[in-house]
Amino acid sequence: MAGARAFGFKECRKIGGSQIRNLLNAKDFFLFDCDGVIWHGEKAITGAPKVVSSLIKHGKNVFFVTNNCTRPRENYLNKFLRLGFTDVMQEQIFSSSYCSALYLRDVAKVQGKVFVIGGEGVRNELLQAGIPFVGDEDAPDGTIFNCALASDVKAVLVGHDDKFTFLKLAKASCYLRDPECLFLATDVDPWHPLQDGRILPGSGCLTAALEVATGRKAMVIGKPSPFMFECISSQFRVDPAQCLMVGDRLETDMLFGANCGLDTMLTLTGISQMKTAQEYRDSDHSTNQSFVPDYVVDTIADFLPAFEN
Amino acid sequence: MAVSKCTRLNGSLIKQMLDSVDSVLFDCDGVIWRGDQAIPGAPDVINLLKKNGKKVFFVTNNSTKTRKMYADKLALMGFNATEDEVFGTAYCSAMYLKHVSRLQGKVYLIGSNAMRQELEKVGIQQTGVGPDLISGVQIDWANVPLDPEVKAVVVGFDEHFSYMKLNRALQYLNNPDCLLVGTNTDTRLPLEGGKAVPGTGCILKAVETAAQRQAQTVGKPNHFMYDCVASQFGLDRTRCLMVGDRLDTDILLGSNCGLKTLLTLTGVSTVADAEAHQESGCPKRLGMVPDYYVESIAELLPALQG
Repeated sequence: MAGARAFGFKECRKIGGSQIRNLLNAKDFFLFDCDGVIWHGEKAITGAPKVVSSLIKHGKNVFFVTNNCTRPRENYLNKFLRLGFTDVMQEQIFSSSYCSALYLRDVAKVQGKVFVIGGEGVRNELLQAGIPFVGDEDAPDGTIFNCALASDVKAVLVGHDDKFTFLKLAKASCYLRDPECLFLATDVDPWHPLQDGRILPGSGCLTAALEVATGRKAMVIGKPSPFMFECISSQFRVDPAQCLMVGDRLETDMLFGANCGLDTMLTLTGISQMKTAQEYRDSDHSTNQSFVPDYVVDTIADFLPAFEN
Repeated sequence: MAVSKCTRLNGSLIKQMLDSVDSVLFDCDGVIWRGDQAIPGAPDVINLLKKNGKKVFFVTNNSTKTRKMYADKLALMGFNATEDEVFGTAYCSAMYLKHVSRLQGKVYLIGSNAMRQELEKVGIQQTGVGPDLISGVQIDWANVPLDPEVKAVVVGFDEHFSYMKLNRALQYLNNPDCLLVGTNTDTRLPLEGGKAVPGTGCILKAVETAAQRQAQTVGKPNHFMYDCVASQFGLDRTRCLMVGDRLDTDILLGSNCGLKTLLTLTGVSTVADAEAHQESGCPKRLGMVPDYYVESIAELLPALQG
């Protein structure tokens, strides 16, 4: 295999000790996924709060990039504080719900209402961004045989919705018959793990249903789409070469990093396993290379020795 | 075997074609009716075919009615048809689970009452039908009580589809031995009254995405529905005609089973669609080119009346 390194070839190399220290010196921006990287559910990963505050103390820029759209950012901040991540500020938190609102307001500049399939996280961010929206609750007596459609709906936004119903699917697909009506998805994750290892259906399932209904593809805001990195870049001066994306899911976090031109690190405290990363690396399909991390650690707590000068 | 030529069926060719078949399989929506309105002339076509000694069957991907409900609807519209001539996916899914999967156990059903009834008729119990809204918190959802007798998740059209149902299906499908069966993958479901809503394909896709696996589908274009008819009535496929309005379900089923195929233009697909498949040269798409097409099945009438 000597000499076979193609452009974009990722080594998937487990690193420790001085290699981590060198990496920390080389990078100024650290982007962390949350679930499975810094916490599991309501429990911080051992050492993670210290890693984050050490990075910040050493003058590094830290951001949190999460596809989880179920909470508004203030709510996330409360969780960070509750779990011991005391130096984190709201501006460092980039969730797919927040970035969806930014997209609608600043990129699409939507004039009109948004039909929302989603919960408090999404709705709260739309409210804060000043974007009018309607959900299904406004016509509670509607059925699929007879439901009122709001006028002036210019976009449909699909996110995680535990109150998802067939009626919402039907209404959304009516709105999307107009090709001018935007079709946005917070993320396409098919499932999410809970603390105890069980899984729940993700936004990806609802988006897939709506794509089949409409024959249209959603514009995806969350990872692996690069849009959330564009959000960060629009608010902070970020150099991709100075960034490290740290995540636990090869098909979202590593691919996101590859799509944005960032170095990537897989931490093994979450969804993806070393074995899978190696299989992607060794596969014949060049597209699989984008799932492969540059670096691998067992846990981000492996950073801690590097801070002991 | 002659390559499908997408020939306009008219004049003496109609009688010639009809003489070459003993059995005719009709799709329903867009072929013999639209919603609750019969296509003009359709009842006469069916009734005359039978008078002329042909066997007639109705093969539909719609899973919202039992055979009996379809027979009642047919009768109401003036079609001379009996229950055992109707093959809908509610019935065929039950047959599939009983005779192909040989299911020993229960089904978690995302589907209609019709599906429940057809399952019960073959002795398969189900759990899950009806409204199912969310309550509790995330940890509750992941820990919903599972019926240990459930051995398959079955998905059909369900107006009560919800996140909770999707969640229950996922929890059952975490067991790799639990089967996943879908009635069909149609993207739209025509309602009585002419409206259309998202079809079973959407619901099935949500479940497949969560569980990260593909369902076994029973409906057209899968050959199972033809096998169902053929096994009960001893058909000769070389003397069978499949009449439909959708190239990707009806015509493809016909091609897959070696039947003659007739596209009618009173529904979804157009001649342009068919010609595009023909010109593509792609082997997968050639199965969607019908042998013949008509504007409406009413065009068969003169040959049947003469």
